[in-house]
Amino acid sequence: MKKNTTGIRHRNELNYPQKAVMYLFLLLVGVIMFLPMWNVIVVSTTTALEASRSGVHLWWREFSIEGFRYVFEVTKLARPFLNSLFVTTVGTVIQVLLASFAGYVLIQRDLPFKNGITSFIMLTMMIPGDLTMISIYQLNRDLGLLNSYTGLILNGLIAGSSILLMRNYFKSISYTLAESARIDGASELRIFAGIFLPISLPGLATVFFMDFVSRWNSITIPAAILTDESMYTLPLKLKAMILSTSSVSGTAQIPENAIMAAIVITAVPLLLIYVFAQKFLLSGLNLGATKE
Amino acid sequence: MANRALNPGMIDKRSVRRQKLDRMRRYRFIYVLMIPVLVYFLVFSYYPMALGIFNSFREIQLLGNARFVGLENYRTIFSSPVYSQAFVNTLIVGVGTFILQFFWGLLLALFLNELRHKLSRSFYQTVSYIPNLLSWSVVGSIWITLLAPNGLINGILDWIIGDGYRPIVFMSERSLARGIMIFTGAWKGAGYYAALFLAAVVSINPTLYEAASIDGASRMQQIVNITVPSLMPTIKIITMLGVMGMLRNFDQIFVMQNSSILDQVRNLLYLIYTEGIVQFKIGPASAAACIVLLATMIISFTVRKLIGYDQGD
Repeated sequence: MKKNTTGIRHRNELNYPQKAVMYLFLLLVGVIMFLPMWNVIVVSTTTALEASRSGVHLWWREFSIEGFRYVFEVTKLARPFLNSLFVTTVGTVIQVLLASFAGYVLIQRDLPFKNGITSFIMLTMMIPGDLTMISIYQLNRDLGLLNSYTGLILNGLIAGSSILLMRNYFKSISYTLAESARIDGASELRIFAGIFLPISLPGLATVFFMDFVSRWNSITIPAAILTDESMYTLPLKLKAMILSTSSVSGTAQIPENAIMAAIVITAVPLLLIYVFAQKFLLSGLNLGATKE
Repeated sequence: MANRALNPGMIDKRSVRRQKLDRMRRYRFIYVLMIPVLVYFLVFSYYPMALGIFNSFREIQLLGNARFVGLENYRTIFSSPVYSQAFVNTLIVGVGTFILQFFWGLLLALFLNELRHKLSRSFYQTVSYIPNLLSWSVVGSIWITLLAPNGLINGILDWIIGDGYRPIVFMSERSLARGIMIFTGAWKGAGYYAALFLAAVVSINPTLYEAASIDGASRMQQIVNITVPSLMPTIKIITMLGVMGMLRNFDQIFVMQNSSILDQVRNLLYLIYTEGIVQFKIGPASAAACIVLLATMIISFTVRKLIGYDQGD
């Protein structure tokens, strides 16, 4: 379309007033989206004194990493960071494994009780986890999972959506491949691990990154089952930090450059995923929004 | 394996059962794979759901036994001004966020599609998608800091207005509280909607535009008559997603509330959390959760019918 003949090219552009509106909108949105994030970067790498100065901070007057030093030395952010990293990684790896198991089960052609199993899984997607928060709390209390890594990992260990994603991925692989391997006497484990898993690496990666992001960001479950501050994950720690600042009371206990540094630290793993694994995130995003 | 289905007439019940057992034996490994998943769902999904419904009919004390109280918890909820206020807050912030986010995302996608400059396109896609990737504790903290008396917003206002400007304490301004939640909600989510819209815009058949431009349609007419109608399926999906999530916004309020604006922004999920887990009123909180669940289902169903979600395209 861009290669249109020059004669009708002008029709394929907006006229000037319309373009003016468009650029105005884009400028406004650009400023609204970009300035807050830029402000975080600048304030996180300046001195506490400079950060507390009122006014517009969009460039460095003084560059300093004391905010980062503060969050590790005074706020002890390393513990929540490692907590988050540990439960997120372990939970996500298990999620990928279980999702691929279950997804594989759902593509078996004449597996007895397959429909029952499928609806059993699909129904869980209708149960909103956040609405069962109180029962989740009671369950974790009764199982002794409050304030534990096991609790943080176990809750949300597997999601129906991940299973469906893997099922759809396996479905796109020729089933006759499995059938013929089976006739040749290959064990089920071999068929699964030797044929299906290797071809489905992009699907596994999509589940991995989608689940990593949602677990890293998870607030509801940690808020429900954690009271011990040494178990806090990054989102809870960040919330606790921001609560003790000037936003309402007027007196800052934690300097703003430190808060911004904590924000940067919390965001960096996700930004890395966005930069290096964007493809998988976007394919997951589109899968999540397709009609079943 | 293949001879099983050849003569369906000859298969009597017993051999059918035997074949089923045979297949089950053959799929032993498959069933073993499934066990952890099924157990997990049973314990962490179905059981909490059932327990929640069960508890909504009971009164549970910290000490002593729980007792069955029928519909009393539900009566408590419906007559509670705190809960009805939370319901109003949930609706206003939920609907407001959805509408703002919808048009923000739609316009962004439409305009980005007109933008021929590749680098600025990817700049916009990146900056608008990043907030969606971040947790509410990050986004909430960013905006709380920006809106603080010495934050960026007050700095900009000071710069515009000049002398005599007195900083606004945005986060404790009751009249602005809901607006701030709506705006920050849309700020976080608009990029997601824009990405969905953009994916649909890109897949529109280019010959449609060519034909229209040969017929003399202006670009604006093409957008209104080709692009927007082609987005209808995406619009339906987004509406459904939005409606289902509308009543369930815990994270934002959990992070961004504070005591001075609590009455304006406290929504149902946050109230359920404080009542149920912090104050241990499990019965009424469970009843409220059941009501929200039911309401979500009813609203989703209604919207589904209204927008004709199930009718093809």
